[in-house]
Amino acid sequence: MGTIGQDIRYGVRMLVKHRLTTLVCVAALALGIGVNAAMFSVAEAFLLHPVPFENSDRIVALVDSRPSQGIDTNSVSPVTYLEWKAQAHSFDKMGAYVWDTINLTGDREAEKAQAFAISPNFFDLLGVHPLMGRTFLPEEDQVGKDQVIVLSYGLWERRYASDPLILGKKIKVDGKTLEIVGVMRKGFDYPKPAEAWVPLSFNAKQRTIRDSRYLWVLAHLKPQVSVQQATAEMRTIAVQQAEAYPDAYKGWTLRVLTIPNFATDSLTRQFTFLLLGAVGFVLLIACADVANVQFARVTGRHKELAVRTAMGASRSRIIRQLLTESVLLSLAGAVLGLLLAMWWVYLIVSHMPPEVAKFIAGWNTIRLDANAFLFTLAIAISSGIVSGIAPSWLHSETNISETLKESGRGASTGPSRHRLRSVLVIAEIALALILLVGAGLLVKGFRALIVVHENFRPATVLTLNLDLPEMQYKEKPGRTAFYAQVLQRLAALPHVQSAGLATYVPYAGGGGTGVSPFTIEGRAPEERGETPSTIVETISPDYFRLMNIGLRGGRELSDSDGDATPPVAVISQNVAKRYFSGGNPLGKKLKIGKADADSPWLTIVGIVDDVHYTWVDKQEYPTIYRSYRQAPPFYTSLVLRTNGDPLTSVSAVRSAVGEVDPDLPLFDVLPFDRVITNSIVGIAYVAAMMTILGLIALVLASVGIYGVMSYSVGERTHEIGVRMAMGATSNDVQRLILRNGLFLTIVGMAIGLPMALGIAYALSSILFGVRVADPFAFVALPLLLAAVATVACYLPARRAVRMDPLTALRYE
Amino acid sequence: MSDTATLIKMEGVKKVFLTDEVETHALEEIHLEIKKGQYISIAGPSGCGKSTLLSILGLLDSPSDGTYMLNGQPVGKLTISERTRIRNREIGFIFQAFNLIGDLTVYENVELPLTYRGTSSAERKQKVQNALERVGMAHRLRHYPSQLSGGQQQRVAVARALVGDPLILMADEPTGNLDSKNGEAVMELLRDLHRNGATVCMVTHDQRYANFAERTIHLFDGRIVEETKEAGVSV
Ligand SMILES: Nc1ncnc2c1ncn2[C@@H]1O[C@H](COP(=O)(O)OP(=O)(O)OP(=O)(O)O)[C@@H](O)[C@H]1O
Ligand SMILES: [Mg+2]
Repeated sequence: MGTIGQDIRYGVRMLVKHRLTTLVCVAALALGIGVNAAMFSVAEAFLLHPVPFENSDRIVALVDSRPSQGIDTNSVSPVTYLEWKAQAHSFDKMGAYVWDTINLTGDREAEKAQAFAISPNFFDLLGVHPLMGRTFLPEEDQVGKDQVIVLSYGLWERRYASDPLILGKKIKVDGKTLEIVGVMRKGFDYPKPAEAWVPLSFNAKQRTIRDSRYLWVLAHLKPQVSVQQATAEMRTIAVQQAEAYPDAYKGWTLRVLTIPNFATDSLTRQFTFLLLGAVGFVLLIACADVANVQFARVTGRHKELAVRTAMGASRSRIIRQLLTESVLLSLAGAVLGLLLAMWWVYLIVSHMPPEVAKFIAGWNTIRLDANAFLFTLAIAISSGIVSGIAPSWLHSETNISETLKESGRGASTGPSRHRLRSVLVIAEIALALILLVGAGLLVKGFRALIVVHENFRPATVLTLNLDLPEMQYKEKPGRTAFYAQVLQRLAALPHVQSAGLATYVPYAGGGGTGVSPFTIEGRAPEERGETPSTIVETISPDYFRLMNIGLRGGRELSDSDGDATPPVAVISQNVAKRYFSGGNPLGKKLKIGKADADSPWLTIVGIVDDVHYTWVDKQEYPTIYRSYRQAPPFYTSLVLRTNGDPLTSVSAVRSAVGEVDPDLPLFDVLPFDRVITNSIVGIAYVAAMMTILGLIALVLASVGIYGVMSYSVGERTHEIGVRMAMGATSNDVQRLILRNGLFLTIVGMAIGLPMALGIAYALSSILFGVRVADPFAFVALPLLLAAVATVACYLPARRAVRMDPLTALRYE
Repeated sequence: MSDTATLIKMEGVKKVFLTDEVETHALEEIHLEIKKGQYISIAGPSGCGKSTLLSILGLLDSPSDGTYMLNGQPVGKLTISERTRIRNREIGFIFQAFNLIGDLTVYENVELPLTYRGTSSAERKQKVQNALERVGMAHRLRHYPSQLSGGQQQRVAVARALVGDPLILMADEPTGNLDSKNGEAVMELLRDLHRNGATVCMVTHDQRYANFAERTIHLFDGRIVEETKEAGVSV
């Protein structure tokens, strides 16, 4: 035991003695370990505990997927759920929930809240209990007995000032009167971002719906049942359902996901893994740097190690001694790295807008916790070992007697050492290139998204949402009149240039849009399950002009398209291209829904530019526009083009709408540019982090190549002196050194490039605007790397030529 | 005292160095027997293979050919860890170059063989103190080798060789850097060790010191060319 203490004391002394290299190593490791600790905290939140309850690995989500359309997680229909519940034996509890935005009115200012309609056993299934009161009773899923509500802690605190006597109070929700029966614990907001829960009830008609999918189903596994077993059972049930009702299930496949997999969508997971890989690369580069320094150090200490060996130090003792030093080094790096990580985590958390953060599962659990600490310790020790093992291994016993002789002949380095150092530099360059290209592509993709938006001139647009209560606005004319009045009043406001409405504003609400099948008149019904689908936008006629969406043919919608005139539609260019290739779509007819749907035939009157709705889409989605006058919606977004800062108009807008309907809450009131940045904040994070990692990699790799080159210059001092004494010019010497370094750089890039190409293929398949053959990523960035490497080689080369040949000759 | 068992037996030992395709025959056909407790000196002109022979004797290097039996055991069959153990427990070295570790203090340099032996720290302290007193360097515990003169460094190197009470001492020109007074002192230390039963193999150019030994082996071009036995010098 005492000898370990000796190793440590000696190690510390060596590190202090070689202050500069120690500092470089600690800094490199701190950067490498720091980004890993920070990224670990993020990944832990996303992948390990994204939900605010325990035992999430015993709870599964049963979802539908539709691989042919790239839908990997979809809700299911009521009958599907009810049949599962009746037939499955793998679970002791099964429940469902539905998204349900509610209007809170009556007692206070009208407000929109995110509620979920849940089956009564839902909280029980998750294993959570209320802070006050109770959750739902089994019979409360029956229509008539469902007039109850459970509040989240946040809503209770905000709207009801944490009223301790809230239980039993009645509040107005969507025009109905509900009794508050419970308040959940602080921080519980599942499913994100729940503010309230109401019972999920099915009426007789809903109990027969098979092909309308809107239920999310969760189930708790019985104690002895594994996820695999449950999956097998559910697959069997799903196959039986599909055989019995082929129309409803054609193309759909059941998936069983554990809660962490369900809560964090696959794109988030992919990007999390991408970043985990990237930070891993950065750590590897840092380790290679440290290994190089250790190599130089071990070589310089050849004599010392030989003496130790002669004194009877076994090989393992020597290795232990050297490893102690590099582990000490990396522990110092870890301490500094943890500080950096704390700062990074702070930056990550604080830059996320709250209106986005509330949707991200696990976001509020991102912190450097005990696990992150242990992880850091583990990677610190392993990077100490990784960076120390090769150098100490290379110190072999074979030449001790040689080293111990006076001549100093033994101080030279064997060829294997040179080769390993070169391999390390090559690996660093290759990894740095991969990271740089990855970063470059992500930045390009991100910029492509920004460019797409500039066309909207979003800085002067205000967007807000409203949802007309069904009971009050049951009739179409009432809705049409409401919208017409609101738009008229809004357009008349002082700073407002024009006002419009649309079902979905691009990029709003995370970019989610519903899609519907549609049918073109006179076409044979498509293959079952392969019906063309489209986004259906219901807009006001001036929406196109307001949003700068260009007309490509025919005419726009007009205010004269109304109830009394034939129903019309405008299509996006890719509908025209995809489904009317060659022909002229104007005047043709289509309808929303499948061939047998009883919706009206719409005459195509115009074609407009494609619109990109979400960064997740690699291409624009087909869109069909209708006028609100012909199909007035309940839910809509208002968009206003203003003269300047859109937020200055908010109160005027609120009162203008209030004049038409004082009980109607307006929500998500945001400038359009904010909507856009919110929706791409995730990819912005990824792009920013990759850029930082790419730059760190660039710096670390150039430190590595600088270290190796300046070491080799030191080693070749004598040789250089001789060459210069023999008449070599400084150019000759410089070229000699530079050629050496550039050779390593070029080999590294040649190895890194194919791998970078692989990353480019992967990214181009998940990101809008990323092309594989990207000149910025594949020409400019490699050139940058080569330039930095050249500078890193040039500095030691210049030092070499400045040497006085006489000193160089004496140097041995 | 007069234990006559054979400690070292070399038969046909050769050492060939290969550098840049050039073969250097440092040792050719060495036959040598050394009994336990003997004090032998090795003499010969520069480059004749003295240090090489000593390295092989001290298990720092291996012969290219021939057999070397140490204590009746063929050395060639030893594993690396056995060789290490023997070097550590049974052999002490004094190098031609002192080979002190620049980053360790005098105390730590001397302590080194004990450290690798797993001696307790109290015992280490005691032994190091003793050894340094014997060479008259006890007042320089905390100094680093670079702060000592050449002769002082040599004495520390001797203390390091003595500290573990080795059974065999390999000394390569232990007096090469010393004035005659210090040289005498070092030789006295070696004699002490020998009196206590250790086997000593010493390389020296100095005839005066060679006379301390019971036997002198003369090397020339890697071969033993002559052996002389001194009478009555050993006690
Ligand atoms: N590592 C080596 N590689 C090549 N040749 C070597 C090596 N070590 C020793 N030699 C050669 O072997 C021969 C013997 O060397 P050695 O060091 O044993 O001589 P020495 O008798 O100790 O000389 P000195 O009295 O000068 O110390 C010399 O010719 C030397 O050049
Ligand atoms: Mg010699």
